[in-house]
Amino acid sequence: MSAPSPQLEMANDLVVGRSARMRAVFDFIHLIRGSDSTVLITGESGTGKEVIATLIHRTSRRMHHPFVAVSCALFSETLIESELFGHERGAFTGAVKDRPGRFELAQGGTIFLDDIDDVPLGMQVKLLRVIQNRTVERLGGIRPIPVNVRILAGAKRDLKQMVGEGTFREDLYYRLNVLPLTLPPLRDRREDIPELMDFFFDRFFRRKGEENPQISDAVRQVFMRYDWPGNVRELENACERIAQTCTCGVIRVGCLAANLLFGATNQPPGAPVADPQPTDSTTPISLDGRLRDLEATLITWALKASRGNKSKAAQLLQVKRSTLGDRIKHCGLDQADSSAASPASSDVDAA
Amino acid sequence: MTWQQIESVLGRVRPFLQADGGDIELVEIDGHSAGVRLTGACSSCPSARMTLVLGVEAALRREVPEFDRVYLR
Repeated sequence: MSAPSPQLEMANDLVVGRSARMRAVFDFIHLIRGSDSTVLITGESGTGKEVIATLIHRTSRRMHHPFVAVSCALFSETLIESELFGHERGAFTGAVKDRPGRFELAQGGTIFLDDIDDVPLGMQVKLLRVIQNRTVERLGGIRPIPVNVRILAGAKRDLKQMVGEGTFREDLYYRLNVLPLTLPPLRDRREDIPELMDFFFDRFFRRKGEENPQISDAVRQVFMRYDWPGNVRELENACERIAQTCTCGVIRVGCLAANLLFGATNQPPGAPVADPQPTDSTTPISLDGRLRDLEATLITWALKASRGNKSKAAQLLQVKRSTLGDRIKHCGLDQADSSAASPASSDVDAA
Repeated sequence: MTWQQIESVLGRVRPFLQADGGDIELVEIDGHSAGVRLTGACSSCPSARMTLVLGVEAALRREVPEFDRVYLR
């Protein structure tokens, strides 16, 4: 793998990631920097397709010309056509003046057609014609307008599969899939999470005039263990929400939204559940208490995972069924009843 | 709705809270609601108190259909 060029490094204030998966993405972008071919960027929602498209544009020979991004999912079939190709005055009700389409606005530069998998079949044939002829015709127009535009396309679904299902044109697929680039979901590059957290917390705290927020280790653990189905976009939103609501200068577990906190705990507890280090050296911690809590957490998880079947739970925990019974008693998990009384209320006062 | 059901939900977030120098304790059950006590690091932060209580409440409602609300003691 070649080292990224200084130019790519410069443009790279956009994208965070040193994982092998992301390095491969950067290497690919570096490799195709001299190319004018169509790139098909595939990746789950929130993986940063538009950011990567911007990076491809900024490292290309077209970097000093416009970059126009358009989501094909936002418009109905007729609106996409007017949006992409423009219209002449009077082409339809409300078309009060001539309006250039996105292809014309990107003249000399790059157009990024995101959500290409949402383009209806009828529109796909029109796109194909534009790609083949490099000309567009405005709605209601009569002459073709030549466009010198590089095309990047983004898709969250597998277009090849859509071709098989008959929902995406095969000829368009091959036109787009000249340089295929797949972006990894965040859960496949967890090693990038700490850097992403710092990047976004820094950005959002600076926006409200604060700098260098402290992030607790427990919060980092939650971020590392959560699955991030919404990928980088979800992580970015989580950081923004915390930056908006955190008032004490230290980001702790209490600041985290429930889906994050409980999402992180849905993982099978293979690794230690929490940092066993006390947060400061003056507060004593009870080893027995901590171990009992950990044991209770693991047992509760196993019981839940086996839908309350103690034999299965014992198998999950690799102990005998009778041992599990003893441990359940030991942890006080058998004291459960619906009485309103507190069995062992703590003597710690609420702050 | 049992003490154990609520404890098992609290138990899932407790290790993270404890690692952060805090804790959440179940103090009482009142009908379909639960009184909890926050201690340590996050107990003095109004936004954390709200976020945690709402979070635990939402999780409890998912696990225990008849659950009503979490209140602070």
